[in-house]
Amino acid sequence: MAGIVVEPIVCGRPVRSLDRAPLADVRGDLLGEVGMVPRLMAVGAVTRARRAADGRPVGHELLLRAAELFATADLDGETPDEYERRVALAAGLPRVTVRHAVADIVRSLTHLPRTTRAELPESRLGDGYQTAWVPAGRLFAAVMASNHPAPNDSWLHALALGYSVLVRPGTREPFTARRLTLALLAAGLAEHRISFLPGERAVGEYLLEAADRGIVYGGSDAVRRWADSATVTTRGPGRSRALLDRPLTDDVLDHLTVSAAYDGGTRCNNISLVLTTGEPRQVAAALGARFDALASPEVTASDATLPVVDAGRAEALSRQLAGLTHGATVHTAAGADPLVRLPDGAYRPLPTVLSTDDPRHPAVGVELPFPFVVVAPWRRADGTAPLGGALVLNLLTDDADLRADAVADPSIRKVTCGLTLPWDSTPGIPHEGNLSLFLLQSKGVVSTGTRDHALA
Amino acid sequence: MDTMTTALAPGRVETFDERLRRLLRWHFDPETGSAFWLRQRRLLDFDPLRDIDGAADLVRFPDLTEQLRHVPVGDLIPRGLTGTGFRVYESGGTSGAPKRIIDRDYRRRLLSWAMQRLRAHHIADPAHWLHLGPSGPHVFAYDCARYAALGNGMFHTVDFDPRWVKKLVAAGESDMVKRYVRHLLDQAAEVLRSQPIKVLSTTPPLIEAICADPELHAAVERTVETIIWAGTSFSPESLRQVEEVFFPDTTLVGIYGNTLMGVAPQRPRRPGDRHLCVFEPYQEAVWIDVVDDRGAVVDYGQRGRVRLSLVSEEMFLPHVIERDTAVRVEPVGDATLDGLAEIGTVAEVGDVRVIEGVY
Repeated sequence: MAGIVVEPIVCGRPVRSLDRAPLADVRGDLLGEVGMVPRLMAVGAVTRARRAADGRPVGHELLLRAAELFATADLDGETPDEYERRVALAAGLPRVTVRHAVADIVRSLTHLPRTTRAELPESRLGDGYQTAWVPAGRLFAAVMASNHPAPNDSWLHALALGYSVLVRPGTREPFTARRLTLALLAAGLAEHRISFLPGERAVGEYLLEAADRGIVYGGSDAVRRWADSATVTTRGPGRSRALLDRPLTDDVLDHLTVSAAYDGGTRCNNISLVLTTGEPRQVAAALGARFDALASPEVTASDATLPVVDAGRAEALSRQLAGLTHGATVHTAAGADPLVRLPDGAYRPLPTVLSTDDPRHPAVGVELPFPFVVVAPWRRADGTAPLGGALVLNLLTDDADLRADAVADPSIRKVTCGLTLPWDSTPGIPHEGNLSLFLLQSKGVVSTGTRDHALA
Repeated sequence: MDTMTTALAPGRVETFDERLRRLLRWHFDPETGSAFWLRQRRLLDFDPLRDIDGAADLVRFPDLTEQLRHVPVGDLIPRGLTGTGFRVYESGGTSGAPKRIIDRDYRRRLLSWAMQRLRAHHIADPAHWLHLGPSGPHVFAYDCARYAALGNGMFHTVDFDPRWVKKLVAAGESDMVKRYVRHLLDQAAEVLRSQPIKVLSTTPPLIEAICADPELHAAVERTVETIIWAGTSFSPESLRQVEEVFFPDTTLVGIYGNTLMGVAPQRPRRPGDRHLCVFEPYQEAVWIDVVDDRGAVVDYGQRGRVRLSLVSEEMFLPHVIERDTAVRVEPVGDATLDGLAEIGTVAEVGDVRVIEGVY
């Protein structure tokens, strides 16, 4: 296979960078080479994008065409199948996860007008009175991670509403943002509206500083600086969790297993913590038995379901797991290696369930990029504090007061009730806040003419 | 003072090895050597006068630069050098306490040579200079003041404490760093507003900051004819961006260097060069090798770590292992030392990322 070459795209035009970085796959083989964007190239992209930015919304027909091309077309010689294979090899994602993500992105683009309408308050306020929702700026920066392709829909949303977009793709997986960029351009997007800028972390920081609005995905370190920013919204670890306050039936176990292991546990809304009013050890043992049954061929196989990591990440995970399991019980098959070396050279993290009697055990609240769940005790007297700090809280309880308390808790971003999967949604349901309101500002437009209005 | 005289046939230039042997006699003679080296001699497991024959033997010395962090600087002055006028310079202080060196005449000679090298690029000359770079104990400002003086120009400076910036960066105070950079740019803009500056000496990060500020960029483009950059490095694409996109009508010259070694200006480009910028060291007093992990010199075109020795009457610093890496480039013209290109920093050892979240 010829090495893949990923070059920057500055204001719609591919450019060749003299700065080259190798792109390794999860097996340790060279997958290709990335033309890296140094800060100065990003400065040039920002300057040009800002000069040309017009704030015009992108027509929905164009977005639908782009979605179609993204899902089905050969783009710069990359077939959909080859795209899937590249993401699988570069990010270690099961191919089925990549397919889900493509479907997610297509769906998100298809529903975008509905989503935006649902996210904004009523704007016609009577004869001659209207609230206009307009982009709060002209440039949007997206700093992506490599865990999952689907989050790229956030910058598509910004683009649709009128922003010109600068994307810094994930370091390990630049393919999704690149393919979307190519699809948009092929669908007729004005060149100046989009730049694809693979580069080091500092380039992402610069883009977030320079743009009017931005989004950053990553671990706590990557997002901390922007936690209190009014112009940058962060997508850090989701730490999604379930509260189990009902008998442990097969239905419940199926539900928890899917919540944790769907897409190989790589989504920010996969649960990583089960708080139980029952016996943690018992719950963990039952869940662990389900996890033991999870199996997957190598990551490039079309029926793969579990993610893999490269040797470097495997070593880091190994060390972290050794620290986390101290003082906790591990509920995996006896003697199982937490990181399995596969014949192709990649490592598969073993789906893992831990239990602890200590609700403050350091493993509580830890999220890892594979099926990984900690089971810990919770009592009504503990209140909602242990339930908070979560992207999604799944309530498996009949306690109506607790549900009301959870809905009222500002550190919980979404509440799902009963056997509802964490990602279940319809246009308008906030994922992590309301993106339309973040991107737009309201403006009064009054055209009542000379009509006389008393202040009374 | 016999050791300071050269008994060479008229017209013949002393080789590096000959100079090395002569200066070893000087540095290790109780009459002329520094307290620092006379103390070291007792600790060496070889005799520097008998066992060191040429540049290749310099690796027998241990790298003693760590001691420059605390040795009283008076101990570094060779006893044979009488009189006053020594200056003290300090290294950046990135990795612990700064290293100190003393200097009186060596650097003036070095800088006269370097100015000739800069003139080969047709820098603005005579010209007034603005130095938008570190001040205080850092040698960069002194060097540029000297170039300006050699070019009959005035020398304007700003207040710039890079150690404070490093502390802010280490503490994650990005907003404060931005404000400090703004403070530096404002000082530069103030000078540019009223003074006919033709040469700007500065660092790559500050050039990037200038480029990100359209107004200041326009002001620099309008007045400055030559930009001298040093202190950190540009990636190849960054340098191309500066030269072709941001300052297409300005002469840009890079200088590689550090407090201990001195300076190695960029040489003029030649047809067939594979690098945009190749630095040439001062072959009179400096020996540089680009080496692999085992200390063997790498092939031309390969990257390795910079290992250097400084041999002058004032300072003897053998076998210094720099944190920098560089691509080794074949000497051209009358150069005898290798050129250096694409300077980088050795990746931090033990740099282990913690995986967190699904990222």
